[in-house]
Amino acid sequence: MPIKAMTQEWMDAYKAAIQADPEYKGLAKDWEGSVSLVVNPDPAKNVPEPIYLFMDYWHGDVGDFVVCDKEKADSAKFVMTGDYARWKQVAYKELDATKALLQGKLKMKGDLPYVVRNIKTVNKVIDILGRVDTLWPDDDHK
Amino acid sequence: MAGGYVGKFLRVNLTEGSWSDFTLDDDTLERFIGGSCLAAKLFLDQYPLDADPLSPENPLMIMTGPMVGSGFPGTSRFSVCARSPQTGIWAESACGGTFGPDLKRAGYDGVVIEGRSQGPVTLTIDDSGVRISDASSLWGRDIYEVTDELKALDKSVKVLAIGPAGENLARIAAIGNDKGHFSGRAGLGAVMGSKNLKAVVVRGTSAKAAKADDAGFKLAMKAAMQEIKDSALAEGLHMMGSDANMDLGMVTGDVPVKNWTSGGEFDLASNLSGPTMREKYLTKAHACTNCPIACKRVVKVDGGPFATEEGPGPEYETCAVFGTMLMNPDLTAVIKANELCNRYGMDTISCGSAVALAMELYEKGEITKDRLGGLDLSWGNMDAVLELVRQTAYREGFGDILADGAVHAARRLGGSAMDAVVHVKGLEAPMHDPRGFHGMGLAYMMSNRGACHLQHFVLATEQGMASWPQLFDMKDDYEGTTSVGKAMLVYNSENYGILANSLSICHYVAYSIRPETLRDAFNAITGFGFDFAGLLSTGMRDWTLKRGFNNLLGISKKDDILPKRIMTALEEGGAAGSVPDTDLLLKEYYALRGLDERGFPKEDVLVRLGLNELKERLYR
Repeated sequence: MPIKAMTQEWMDAYKAAIQADPEYKGLAKDWEGSVSLVVNPDPAKNVPEPIYLFMDYWHGDVGDFVVCDKEKADSAKFVMTGDYARWKQVAYKELDATKALLQGKLKMKGDLPYVVRNIKTVNKVIDILGRVDTLWPDDDHK
Repeated sequence: MAGGYVGKFLRVNLTEGSWSDFTLDDDTLERFIGGSCLAAKLFLDQYPLDADPLSPENPLMIMTGPMVGSGFPGTSRFSVCARSPQTGIWAESACGGTFGPDLKRAGYDGVVIEGRSQGPVTLTIDDSGVRISDASSLWGRDIYEVTDELKALDKSVKVLAIGPAGENLARIAAIGNDKGHFSGRAGLGAVMGSKNLKAVVVRGTSAKAAKADDAGFKLAMKAAMQEIKDSALAEGLHMMGSDANMDLGMVTGDVPVKNWTSGGEFDLASNLSGPTMREKYLTKAHACTNCPIACKRVVKVDGGPFATEEGPGPEYETCAVFGTMLMNPDLTAVIKANELCNRYGMDTISCGSAVALAMELYEKGEITKDRLGGLDLSWGNMDAVLELVRQTAYREGFGDILADGAVHAARRLGGSAMDAVVHVKGLEAPMHDPRGFHGMGLAYMMSNRGACHLQHFVLATEQGMASWPQLFDMKDDYEGTTSVGKAMLVYNSENYGILANSLSICHYVAYSIRPETLRDAFNAITGFGFDFAGLLSTGMRDWTLKRGFNNLLGISKKDDILPKRIMTALEEGGAAGSVPDTDLLLKEYYALRGLDERGFPKEDVLVRLGLNELKERLYR
């Protein structure tokens, strides 16, 4: 049963998927710090307001995974911002997140060399994101 | 006269010790722009193609482009061109740094150097004129020493110099500009050495190229600065230099390991990466003239066996070729190897690739310790590598075999050597594995100076650093390990990217700004009024001109191949199990380029591009 994207239930499912991944813990053993995703509004695709998602990662463990407000999102070590359609492309692996960043389709605040050094961890959590059975706001509602 | 040009070129004859100015008409400038494209045009029109590359008859051309000196980001560049002594075909090597803008301020868009001086000389070009001076006291000294000495007399001069490798006619010799910038590839330092030309010194303050549209230029300039400021790519290059690619490339299968025989060495790559260099050895970022990105590294290694003074640091290519390729995990040893190659004046890609070949043959027992003069060339033994680098520059011992590059070395060594060299048309491949990115494989096959990542923008488009669907039909995201759809991508990325070496603009700046911004700046400077189709057509002319140059020297379809090693799949890493489908790639590409069964441009293509004289020579 697909879960509505970018809801708390969806965040819980994403967190559980990361925790269940057999490779994640080892890959992320050096990662320290929270990541927030900011989804720019797109009313035409049923995203009327910006959405803020906060995820806490620490040495292979995962902490808070919450839908949050702007203030909490801005407090993350890394803040990635993009249009809704781009995030959906990333989740579906139609657009690699690193390429999206380099092409300016996503923006990031944070320590870029740290991300580069830990690119395998970044790729892993994006790969897991694609595994969450998701109903996107502009998908046909059943 | 077209904007962006100071309107004069200098021709120097070192045999006679004479010089004179010449001019070119606007039609020629509009069609061939500048840099390496204009050099190829001049070469074809005025010089014998079949002269020995190390003979006085092979001209050495140093050409700027119309954007150089404009103040637009990334336009400090110039191209050094000749027939290559390493490959025997067209050679060009673009360089950043400081030299280009000063040459234009001294009153010249380019310099053509003919002949051979009887003894070592320097060529000085400044506001007061041209001088040829005795350089006996500089001969034998390395590039850093020569640059320091010439700048001690006047710190504002800009220096192009060769080191011992160029003097010794090593066919992998490079030319250095102010220590940290190099025309590295295809042995142009040996051409300069063959002319007994130790250095070219410029200082210009007075000449200035007018712009066709000052207001338009200011708008384009403002847009470019904002786009670079907003670019994550530019930010990454500023923070980590080109070696930002090391970690990313290991994941995607871009980084060659152990002479192209392995993959997936993540820990090895991490030790050698841009973030590591930044954390441990970077003292500051350095910029070429008029560049806000400042991707160049300045590094210092305190203590240890590979200690270095503060100086220019290695690019990604060097970190790979003296790092992963040699199974060397020590970045300080890479920094030392880079310094030695800089001082001796050797291309790091060619030198490191030749050393990697020797290491593989040593492991196989095809080269013995005795033959190496006692050196233990086990993988990762960097003490031995650094000694071999020195020997190569001075053509001593086994270094004499490596001094002409990996292909020449393999021919001399025999056995399995040739199967262990990754090259196209005699030039060792740069550090981007076509098994991870099939488009790059096609670009290597078709690049006019041999395997090259800098005659096109395929690195940016195929790896997703840039996406320009407004310029030509392309996707935001290409899978690296497929050949489907890549011929069109390569064709268009060549036609756009080749312009970097005629306009004379840095690839990294061009990747970071919109094509509209580059087009508008170029048009505002020159007044040419190109649209996108016109730019791409000009790039097509550029590529075809150089292809014809090479066809006249015997290059044909048989040479458009990838080596056996690249056509052998890796078992691990991001490119595991993948090899380019060269039949598909070439079939589609030949159709797009208008190449016939021999690999020659078809007559109607040459006519359409206005290359009628070339057509006459190819088809008479």
